[in-house]
Amino acid sequence: MAITPFFTTTTSTTLPKTMPDIFPLILISGIAVAAASGLMGSFLVLRRMTLLSDALSHVALPGIALGIIFGFQPLIGGVLFLFFGALLVWQIEHKTKLATESVTAVLFVTMLAIGTLITPETELLETFFGNVSHITPFQAILQIIIGLAIIFTVAKYFKPLLITSIAPDLAAASKISQEKMHLLLLVLVTLTIAIGISFVGILLMSALSIIPAATARNLSQSYREFVTLSVGLAVATLSGGLLIGYLTSIDSSIAAVLLNALLFTASLFKKR
Amino acid sequence: MSKINGQNLLKVTELSLVLEGQTILKDVSFEIKPEEVLAIIGPNGSGKSMLLKTIVGLVKQTSGTITWDPGTNIGYLPQRFQVDRYLPMTAKEFLNLKPAPLKSLDKITELVKIDKKFLNTNIAHLSGGELQRLLLAWSLIGTPNLLLFDEPTENVDVVGQESIYKLLHQLQDQMKIAIIIVSHDLHVVYRYANHVLCLNQRMICYGEPQATLTTKNLSEVYGDHAFFHHHHFNDTTENHA
Repeated sequence: MAITPFFTTTTSTTLPKTMPDIFPLILISGIAVAAASGLMGSFLVLRRMTLLSDALSHVALPGIALGIIFGFQPLIGGVLFLFFGALLVWQIEHKTKLATESVTAVLFVTMLAIGTLITPETELLETFFGNVSHITPFQAILQIIIGLAIIFTVAKYFKPLLITSIAPDLAAASKISQEKMHLLLLVLVTLTIAIGISFVGILLMSALSIIPAATARNLSQSYREFVTLSVGLAVATLSGGLLIGYLTSIDSSIAAVLLNALLFTASLFKKR
Repeated sequence: MSKINGQNLLKVTELSLVLEGQTILKDVSFEIKPEEVLAIIGPNGSGKSMLLKTIVGLVKQTSGTITWDPGTNIGYLPQRFQVDRYLPMTAKEFLNLKPAPLKSLDKITELVKIDKKFLNTNIAHLSGGELQRLLLAWSLIGTPNLLLFDEPTENVDVVGQESIYKLLHQLQDQMKIAIIIVSHDLHVVYRYANHVLCLNQRMICYGEPQATLTTKNLSEVYGDHAFFHHHHFNDTTENHA
């Protein structure tokens, strides 16, 4: 694996290969998580909220750290902190006149620093970049359930979510509450980050949702194409990453991100 | 929502809007009946678009009442609809997003005179005039009986504007829709409106165009200098003198 330069950690840079037994389950879980991420990514790219999702994922770190320190499921700590972060973003955007972007950036970098400070050093790398081999069967199943719930919710509210994203005035005139849709989107993004962290870690999470959507946008003429491609690319690249991680010594999260970056670069050459 | 007197689709009483300490609208009152065309005129920054936005509910009024008849079903065309240049969406996909029963897309596209080929075009590639037609089609989905049209002041050429007005007029004839139109073009007002409301933060005049658009009122709305440079006024006074 190519990363580690600035961490003086005792964690081996080659992740232990202990996942064969439940690999099929992890792969299915990965497909559900990637599909949800690709779907949410399509909205984030349209709404130009890509940096928000990136920043939001960092908020999970102190929660995960508390889980490790006090011996409860780190994912639960992460989820709690993510919701706290989403709620804070919501409050800043709707109840104050502060410049959301700057405040969000300050807040999340601070959270990353606090999280890094309190996370045991041996767990830091895994939290940053994910460790597929540590996913338990229970976690894999929970991720499948949440992933499917995200997909079904988006399917149910697809029209109002999309119309508030592209034409807020028209949505409001059609009696669609922009605030409610924004909150729903934040909750869905938060859940997507929560289930993706175990695969790609907090630092690479946005790559799982944003790059497939950005690539899809370069290649699509219609919205149907855009969403289908975004979901398809997310599923293909995460599955590809997992297989590479399974068959070689390359970390799956790094492989998935690099696959995504490669496809994005290739998409730039498509004639518009 | 209370049923309002007689046949009014909408009644606005003493509406005022203050945003960040600045008065945008002051004591605006008017009403609109079925099949009526009400034109709202005034110079740039007079609060025309804000009035429509307040009526539609995009902005909350500071004081005054907006009373709708329960049977009123509105269609709204905003002044500006900026499409992200890279939004991957066809015109047909856009129309399908409207949260109202879409009985027949064919009928609507026929009404606003857009052809089938146009429906498969990416909306980011449409011209200002084509986008207006698309928005008009959007606003007609769900069979509204009151159309609120905020005139575009940019991105639509004169030919495009003229055909939009003709189209609105035809729609009014065919579908018996009432229209509130925000316009800076007095020509349009004389030609199509039953009533006119002149706005410059406060309501300066309200009534039938011929009786209401007096030289005195117009100079109060536009200011003496701007008023005399308003070429449309010269056109229309010749036509209607």
